[in-house]
Amino acid sequence: MPLFSRPRRQSNILWLDLGDLGDLVHPSGPHEQWQDHGLGLLRTILHRAGILTDIASTRAVTSWEQLRPQLVGYDMLIMNVRSYTYPMALKGAKLFKELNPNGLVLTGGMHATVATDEMEAVAEFDRICIGPGENIIVDLVKNPHDFPRVFHGRGARSMAEWPMIDRELWPKPVGWRIKRRWKWKWPLEPECGWGPGPVATILTSRVCPWQCVFCNENSYIPNMGRKPVDQVIDELNYLDRKYGIGSVVIHDSMFFQQPKWLREWLEKYPRRTKRWTYWAAARADTVRQWPDLFEALVKETNWRTISIGFESGSDRILKLLNKECTEEDNYFTIELVNRIGDELEAKGEKPPVFWSNIMLGIPGETREDAFKTMRMLKRMKRVMPSISFYAPYPGSALGYQLIAEGKSLMRKDNYHRFPDDEKVKGVDYQFYRDLLKGKYDAEINRGLTGVAGAELYQGALIKA
Amino acid sequence: MSSFSNPHYMYLFEMKNGKQKLAYGESPENALEILRIRLTEEEMAEIIPDRYIKINQRQLQQYIHNLG
Repeated sequence: MPLFSRPRRQSNILWLDLGDLGDLVHPSGPHEQWQDHGLGLLRTILHRAGILTDIASTRAVTSWEQLRPQLVGYDMLIMNVRSYTYPMALKGAKLFKELNPNGLVLTGGMHATVATDEMEAVAEFDRICIGPGENIIVDLVKNPHDFPRVFHGRGARSMAEWPMIDRELWPKPVGWRIKRRWKWKWPLEPECGWGPGPVATILTSRVCPWQCVFCNENSYIPNMGRKPVDQVIDELNYLDRKYGIGSVVIHDSMFFQQPKWLREWLEKYPRRTKRWTYWAAARADTVRQWPDLFEALVKETNWRTISIGFESGSDRILKLLNKECTEEDNYFTIELVNRIGDELEAKGEKPPVFWSNIMLGIPGETREDAFKTMRMLKRMKRVMPSISFYAPYPGSALGYQLIAEGKSLMRKDNYHRFPDDEKVKGVDYQFYRDLLKGKYDAEINRGLTGVAGAELYQGALIKA
Repeated sequence: MSSFSNPHYMYLFEMKNGKQKLAYGESPENALEILRIRLTEEEMAEIIPDRYIKINQRQLQQYIHNLG
């Protein structure tokens, strides 16, 4: 039996899931296996409207040759394109057109929104939807010729309007080895070290309203009402009944915002669910603004992996990133989580752990700034460091500015998220590689007591 | 300097070559100070400090084509 058996065809429309080749065959880590909620939502909307689509995935093959036969004979290809999957979208569109010269390629997604000009220059993209597409996808697929080549999509006003994603429309892992190795119970997602599997990933909010200049998602994603607490809880309980949940990942860019919503979550989640542990994100200054609410959420709702975009331990760099947080905010949050962790551990409970997002290689960063960042990291008693080299993505204010200044080393064909890539001119990447190998530990550890060495951050460089 | 006590704003400064430079901070002066962290003196000299507009993050995408 062939390893890559072709799924049964039910439609003349194909949705191509994008990601690195082989990520659903032999992934290098669990994060490669996250599923695309945009794809899930839009396919669910189409299927509920009676428009069936087939699915193929660049992640489910190990070469373009393997994908080729899966693209043959379709009238339409749909792709949700992000900047880091753009090279795959480009190649996928060209291959699809070669195999189906009369076929139509419909695209949308974040890259279509932030780099429209780039996609417009590629003839193979027949339709390019800027912005959210959930309220036009059905009309677009039914009558693509009623739409201009480039057009603005229409999103829901509130996430309450979104249907529950039919997770069985997500691509499947390929072969028994991956399922066994990662204990993958598709369509839930595998454990990644944040909590036991199977993992239910979920969104409760969209758009972080802050204005960090490496992101600025609020400049291209319209505001949208948060999903009601009851709806989130109903979905989780449904998924648990159907598949069995081990833990939850709340994929929101910023979970810890809107105190009114959070208080309702605090009241209902422990009482109406199995109180699964979860991963969710906050900012250091929101923790400092609402420390009691934060502490109650950690303790009572089992928020056990706390993702904080600390980014830097230096005020100079925090300003440069427009983070609107200070070193003091960062240390406030670190001390608070350290204390909560000690208290829970003393009671025999699992303490919360930081998923600590750190950025290095920011233009303007000095060696001392980087040392301060590593010192900050070492003050966290329980931490999973998530370190990346700053990447000037289009869409973000600093990304646009560095591209305009001719300082970006990222090219259209390498928006890929290889962690070790050099991304900005003038940055001494060898210094950072040495830093992460522990070469400067003596300087970093000066003044610190009882701290870990480079083993804390070796191998912590992640895709960004 | 947290977002609750000292919010930042975005500014577009005119440049001598007709382009615009994006900066951010508590005030236009503070935004220029922050820019100075990563730009050389030569690059800073291209900016006209008293000719700027204040923009909202949500308008950012309208201005990217003239950045320099």
